[in-house]
Amino acid sequence: MATTDEEVRELIKREYEHGFVTEIESDTFEPGLNEDVIRRLSDLKQEPEFMLEWRLKAYRRWLEMEEPEWAHVDYPQVKFDDISYYSAPKRPEDMPQSLDEVDPELLKTYEKLGIPLHERAKLAGVAVDAVFDSVSVATTFKEPLEKAGVIFCPISEALQKHPELVKKYLGSVVPVADNYYAALNSAVFSDGSFVYIPKGVRCPLELSTYFRINAANTGQFERTLIIADAGSYVSYLEGCTAPMRDENQLHAAVVELVLLDDAQIKYSTVQNWYPGDETGKGGIYNFVTKRAACIGKNSKVSWTQVETGSAITWKYPSCILRGDNSVGEFYSVALTHNYQQADTGTKMIHIGKNTSSTVISKGISAGRSSNAYRGLVKFNPGAEGARNFTQCDSLLIGDRCGAHTFPYIESKNKSAIVEHEATTSKVSDEQMFLCRQRGIEPEQAVSMIVNGFCKEVFKELPMEFAVEAGKLLEVSLEGSVG
Amino acid sequence: MLSIKNLHACVEEKQILNGLNLEIKAGEVHAIMGPNGSGKSTLSQVLAGNEAFDVTKGEVTFNGDNLLDLATEERAREGIFLAFQYPVEIPGVSNLQFLRTSVNAMRKHHGIEEMNAAEFMKLAKEVSKQVDLDPAFLKRGVNEGFSGGEKKRNEVMQALLLQPKLAILDETDSGLDIDALKVVADGVNALRAPDRSILMITHYQRLLDHIVPDYVHVLSEGKIIKSGGPELALELEAKGYGWLGIEDQVAANHE
Amino acid sequence: MKSASTLSSAFLQPAGQALPAALLALRFDRASALANLILPTRRTENWKYSAKHLKLTDDMASTLPMNASAEAAADNLGYTVVMVNGVVRPEASNYPTLEGLSIQRFSDLNEKDATLAADLLSNSISDQPAKSGSVNLSQLNGARFEDGLLIQLQPGTVLDQPLFLIHHTTASHSGSAYPCILVAAGNNSQLTVVEDYVSSGDSCVMVNTTTEFSLGDGANVTSVRLNTEGQTVQHMGTTGVRQQRSSRFESHSVGFGGTLRRHDLHVRLEGEGAECKLNGVVVTQSTQHYDNHTTIEHVAANCNSEETYRNIAADKSHAVFNGRIHIHQDAQKSNANMSNKNLLLTSGAEIDTKPELEIYADDVLCAHGATIGQLDKESIFYLVSRGLNPRDAKVLLTMAFINELVDQIPVEQVRDTAHTGLNQFFDQAFQEV
Repeated sequence: MATTDEEVRELIKREYEHGFVTEIESDTFEPGLNEDVIRRLSDLKQEPEFMLEWRLKAYRRWLEMEEPEWAHVDYPQVKFDDISYYSAPKRPEDMPQSLDEVDPELLKTYEKLGIPLHERAKLAGVAVDAVFDSVSVATTFKEPLEKAGVIFCPISEALQKHPELVKKYLGSVVPVADNYYAALNSAVFSDGSFVYIPKGVRCPLELSTYFRINAANTGQFERTLIIADAGSYVSYLEGCTAPMRDENQLHAAVVELVLLDDAQIKYSTVQNWYPGDETGKGGIYNFVTKRAACIGKNSKVSWTQVETGSAITWKYPSCILRGDNSVGEFYSVALTHNYQQADTGTKMIHIGKNTSSTVISKGISAGRSSNAYRGLVKFNPGAEGARNFTQCDSLLIGDRCGAHTFPYIESKNKSAIVEHEATTSKVSDEQMFLCRQRGIEPEQAVSMIVNGFCKEVFKELPMEFAVEAGKLLEVSLEGSVG
Repeated sequence: MLSIKNLHACVEEKQILNGLNLEIKAGEVHAIMGPNGSGKSTLSQVLAGNEAFDVTKGEVTFNGDNLLDLATEERAREGIFLAFQYPVEIPGVSNLQFLRTSVNAMRKHHGIEEMNAAEFMKLAKEVSKQVDLDPAFLKRGVNEGFSGGEKKRNEVMQALLLQPKLAILDETDSGLDIDALKVVADGVNALRAPDRSILMITHYQRLLDHIVPDYVHVLSEGKIIKSGGPELALELEAKGYGWLGIEDQVAANHE
Repeated sequence: MKSASTLSSAFLQPAGQALPAALLALRFDRASALANLILPTRRTENWKYSAKHLKLTDDMASTLPMNASAEAAADNLGYTVVMVNGVVRPEASNYPTLEGLSIQRFSDLNEKDATLAADLLSNSISDQPAKSGSVNLSQLNGARFEDGLLIQLQPGTVLDQPLFLIHHTTASHSGSAYPCILVAAGNNSQLTVVEDYVSSGDSCVMVNTTTEFSLGDGANVTSVRLNTEGQTVQHMGTTGVRQQRSSRFESHSVGFGGTLRRHDLHVRLEGEGAECKLNGVVVTQSTQHYDNHTTIEHVAANCNSEETYRNIAADKSHAVFNGRIHIHQDAQKSNANMSNKNLLLTSGAEIDTKPELEIYADDVLCAHGATIGQLDKESIFYLVSRGLNPRDAKVLLTMAFINELVDQIPVEQVRDTAHTGLNQFFDQAFQEV
């Protein structure tokens, strides 16, 4: 039944919802990158001396490195000198002390994005840090968090107030020269979120950061550092959007998670950067390094991601399972459409005894897109009794797209056990016929079937994100049927 | 209600239906019997609008409208229901979600307010009991891991939920033991109504002991070659398809 | 960063010239193309796990003696062709005589056949420009072969027994050998070929092989590859297979010897309805390093492929599997299945596996599965409940794990050799467990 494919193709065609540009005065650096730019940036942020040194070291290493080519993505070379490395909404000398001081235009922007920044935040019970272009503009719910001893603030603020924590852990999971984009980020990151959960504390709120790129010709390089001290727990959500612009914009973030004994971090991402238009013009290059170090025994980290945006995604949230009995999880839905390209997956490095990891990856390719899972599961000689289970499923919608699986499995321990499975399939004609015979629109049928395909991942998301993710999938698939 | 004239249809260039004629009036129950490969299932798929089949000639009207002009989902909303012989699995989509989406698509089409989750849950539980299905199965994926009998009961349950104008049952009796057959037959009998027609497709006569049809037709090589009342089925049972000059090994070996 | 090292020019100098013009020209072209070949490092994707084991010293560059004495093939093998250091030795062989089958050495080819051989080689899949980030060392064979075999089957020709190609490498001093086998199987022909690699002596040598199969419509070819070379042999082999409509190709590989063994098997399903089945048995011990790279390309629609590789690594050995399934855009209704299961017997050993799928068609059924370190717990329990001690139960199941594939090898003599070799392997391996 060829018609299903046609239907599927016809169905995908709604526009990107978050593509508006906010008219706001910004302070933006001239494009270009050199040591002076880094000095200016560090100076502007009134950073401690060690930070500037750290940045310069990263920059010098970056200059010697080459852009990676191994990913299954294809794009013209990024012109790093055409990018502005800092852009911030113009405002009085000092940072706003409360939301009342935030530019109303900005608040409107966040409202448009559906981010519960203000009163609504209270109802949702989510503490939000919002990063607009290069800087953090507002953090909500500071008081109840402070009462619990939780530190949740822009990383620029943490550098002022908690330099010892930042100094100890920044770069401890992702070293400055870990990879090309991590090195660039280390040199020029402008802001991001910092979280510290003290010993034995269960963070009373879900923490959330929304990232927004607004200004043209800027790159966004945020840095997130989360430290979960012994026996603590935190659930952290991250969302991102960007305006529709014809040129590609670079987003190179680094996220580091540190887990001490018995600590637990649940990190969820709904990534909806502008994917470019249906001819492949514009869109964000999302080159991100995310890594968690389970230093402590019995610690557990869980990455859940729903990736529907960006022209190119290059992202491998990873777990270093160093502590005995530590657990790493990766649940991923990656959907590509039109000319989007995604090369994403995870690395599970088993070092400690009885460490275990689970990888569930669901890739959906539509249009002329390319969607690859790339993963590494590695057992070091000391990883006695370690285990991994990996399931990678790909769903193709239409016959012009590609779905790829590149898993690397390496074992040096005889007691370690790996099970890896991968399948590739399409939305079957029989499934479509059954749905339509029951009166369901083809577009709704595809969306329902795709949602079912992703169910194992969605159930890992916090409730309000799960709903958002389902909707996002629906929107992203529009025009894919037919 | 349904009028089929000189229907020709093929799949992958293979001619299956060769000038089939059939009239079904409101409230009637028709049974179509015939050996494997005679075109029984093709007829049900063509009526429901499976695009793998091409109609090459003939016409089908449903309550006066040209059925062949309508898309699959439009036919469904006009009241055509097909109970599948081999219902497909849809992993991860719960039966409940699927059924509610379906029921609401129909309601929306007819301008009736859509049902919320709680209302629907209540209704679905009631109907599932009618076909002796544990309501717990509503939470499982559509047909995922269902036994053959569960799949068939699930199909009949959907018919009861959707209250179609024309229910086409494609070998709904196959693979059922005698108890399950009874349950399914009771479900189908509950569907009988003056404004609803039923078209049963079956290989064997035994279903017709439980659901007594008004008319029985024998299909061979894509055409109806003999029609009659319920007694025709009994005669077929006694004499086999060979009696009508049709070869059918499966029927000869059955039970 | 260390600067990249290139292949020593010593490796680009063939010894003799006694070949037809078409093949000489091809060999010269290959050598020129390799002049700047950068040797693989661990950053080279297709040598990621094996580069550090590769040893190409200049003393290994010279061609091993082309006139070494040849031992006649054993009678019980039936049809045989003996090659010593890559040179065909008819006097030690037992060619089958069958109408429609011709077996010729390169030096005997007339112009027409030499052109065919050159075409087969230049169209060989292994010769296609390497993907970025990969290095193709099998091209060395094309630059260095001194002789080779062209086996042609006319349409409909069926050889009733396996044809054994016995490759003997003399490792009495350092050097290298470059055996080259070309098989052109016409429409609906049938053939089973056994490539049997053996060696004598204990100097460091390299055996670099090329085997090309071209299957016409409906042809049915089985290829068995058996390695029992000594512990000082580096073996690098490439097998390329092109399959036309409704043809069937089966490959079984099993081996024990060698220090570094690398096999690249590349199958292209070019005609509709073609199918292939690839089985591989790998057991490694001491410091051996085996690396199997397979690629199955579904180019045409309605093709089937099935691949099963099993690795067992003992001592300080290292087994690598990289299986790639590539479904082209027009290859709708493809069916591809790949399974790779591995067992590590000691924690000093290492297993690396990379089962890849690259898919550009939507109406396909593709699956791969890979496991490391799993014996079925229920089976162990069953055996223990019948009175076996747990260790014996594991030994038994480990042997069954590999024998399942050995039993599928359709040539009795190879099965026997494999069983003998495996028994020795397990005797040693389980002493230490």
